[in-house]
Amino acid sequence: MPIQTLIGPEIWKSQLSKIKVAVIGTGNIGTDLCERMLRDPNFEVVAVIGRRKDSPGLLKLEGRIQKILYEGAQDLERIISLVDGVFDATSAYTHAEHWQIVNTAGKWMVDLTPSRIGLPIVPELIGYVKGMTLSSEHSNNYSMITCGGQSGAPLAYVLSKHARNISKLEISSSIASLSAGPATRDNIDQYIESTEMLMAQVSGVEKVKAILVLNPAEPPVMMRTTVTLAAETTDVNLMRSDLALIVRNVQKYVPGYELVVEPYAPMPGMVTATAKVSGAGYYLPSYAGNLDIINAAAVQTAKRHMEGSQIHNQENVL
Amino acid sequence: MNRFYDVTLRDGNHAIRHTLTPKFVGEYCRASANSGVWAVEVGHGNGLGASSYLVGASSFSDKDLLEAARDSLIPGGPKLAVHTIPGFATIKRDLIPALKLGVEVFRVATHVSEATVAKKHIQFLASQNVYVHGVLMMSHMIDLKGLISQVKLMESYGASAVILMDSAGYFIESDVKDRISAIKNESNIEIGFHAHNNLGIAVANANTAINSGAEIIDGASMGLGAGAGNAQLENIMATRLRSGDNIEIEHFLKMSALVEESYKEKLPRTTSSSTQSGLAGVFSGYAPQVKQISDELGIDISVLWGELGKRKLVAGQESMIREVAQDLMNL
Repeated sequence: MPIQTLIGPEIWKSQLSKIKVAVIGTGNIGTDLCERMLRDPNFEVVAVIGRRKDSPGLLKLEGRIQKILYEGAQDLERIISLVDGVFDATSAYTHAEHWQIVNTAGKWMVDLTPSRIGLPIVPELIGYVKGMTLSSEHSNNYSMITCGGQSGAPLAYVLSKHARNISKLEISSSIASLSAGPATRDNIDQYIESTEMLMAQVSGVEKVKAILVLNPAEPPVMMRTTVTLAAETTDVNLMRSDLALIVRNVQKYVPGYELVVEPYAPMPGMVTATAKVSGAGYYLPSYAGNLDIINAAAVQTAKRHMEGSQIHNQENVL
Repeated sequence: MNRFYDVTLRDGNHAIRHTLTPKFVGEYCRASANSGVWAVEVGHGNGLGASSYLVGASSFSDKDLLEAARDSLIPGGPKLAVHTIPGFATIKRDLIPALKLGVEVFRVATHVSEATVAKKHIQFLASQNVYVHGVLMMSHMIDLKGLISQVKLMESYGASAVILMDSAGYFIESDVKDRISAIKNESNIEIGFHAHNNLGIAVANANTAINSGAEIIDGASMGLGAGAGNAQLENIMATRLRSGDNIEIEHFLKMSALVEESYKEKLPRTTSSSTQSGLAGVFSGYAPQVKQISDELGIDISVLWGELGKRKLVAGQESMIREVAQDLMNL
């Protein structure tokens, strides 16, 4: 019998010690991650590592985190023995170097850059999608892929599950311009390629297309992601009931995730559905649902990884 | 003299729901050979790689359409051009194949306030041996200062010209004049203007753009384009002829007759709905889906256009039309 049912999830959880982490990168994503975990009793943020002393994120965290450091990879190497794992919120270009340090130390990494080095993870789909497992046999580097990917994967998974002979799947996201920083703008091709790769994995569909639209409207728009597929047969009723379930589960870690257009068939052989994501508003404003969902997924992945390794250890003891 | 840029085979694809065929592309390109048009733009209405459920699927691939055009254009005649929007198209999947197919003019388009998204694409194309234009779509949705800074961004990435698109057909003549004159005061970059006819003054706006200093003018034969259509190319040329330019009008009449015969049922015109969308400042390309959804849900189309305008939707947010319509029904 699995440990969780043996002693009940709540008791089991309280027996865990806090998850000790470091965050590298102090832009919007890194700062929001710190704020999020500072409020979460499961975590202890041991260190945050930036590259310049005057970054607004670091100033905001001063006095609230033990170690505030400025020397990137060098500092990561110095503190790696103090933590269970690391969140990388820097850039695809520096991620490889950081991962080498973390990997050598035998720790886990959650990657929020679009580097595509790690294993793609959508927390709600762990164990459901081929290859999406938290297993130390493969790699302890988990990639959060993209915001569009995180918001669209549950839709793509459910829609494709209840459709046969799918010829094509498409994901389009619109996000508030203010929430798209310079890295997203410079890497828009990478965003599209990574999102398409994740959608293909989640749906099993070969022909996949991703689209990203930035909307500058004031007040800023909430993120929306639409997934559409064409297939020989589809069961819209099953899609609706399954999606209602999965959305409730995603809401447990992304409270602002909701279905705004239920699966429907705009024409025979085609089904489409739309989700909206508003942010929890830790460090970033609520319109930044795109940043919120990727951070929420990162934190959830770390929890799931630690739970998994805890179960593993206890099973050995038993 | 100005350079005239023919968007019939690209923007026109909106009007015919992206059903453009290689055969028609070939015929039209041959008819344009000696017209003096600077470039002929070919492809899906939203450009390279845009065939999708979101904005409409093409009957033929970009490759099929571009090959048909390339094989029918002649040296010294119009150049082969494409429209491309970062977020739809990528360098690897779309731009590089288009370069290999022999495209000579690339227009990289973003919403008017989002030029930074085009940086990598423009920089990449500027390093190739092609013309690169930046395009600011929905150019009514920004103030003058903002517009000038976006033009300068595109210039700094390597665009040789920046095209202002009145994608919603919202501009009156003073809007055109104010914007182009202001840019010309601040920058030496070449400016183009792309009109839509929602308010019935696209040809007049094209002429205003010329008189305000724009070098590149977009038009489509029979106005074939999104929503109420583009500035009618043969009428622009006729007015230029009257204004004293040296124009061989018969080529343009032949091109427009070809479009008229082939797409009789699909020719755009200003309607009550397109006037509403123009006044609301909503992207012209939304028209088919707005019509379909308002019919299906029984909503007054003018109310739906008005609400879409209030929400400040930009091109590429077609999937929100239904959500907005549902919200209206729940009021």
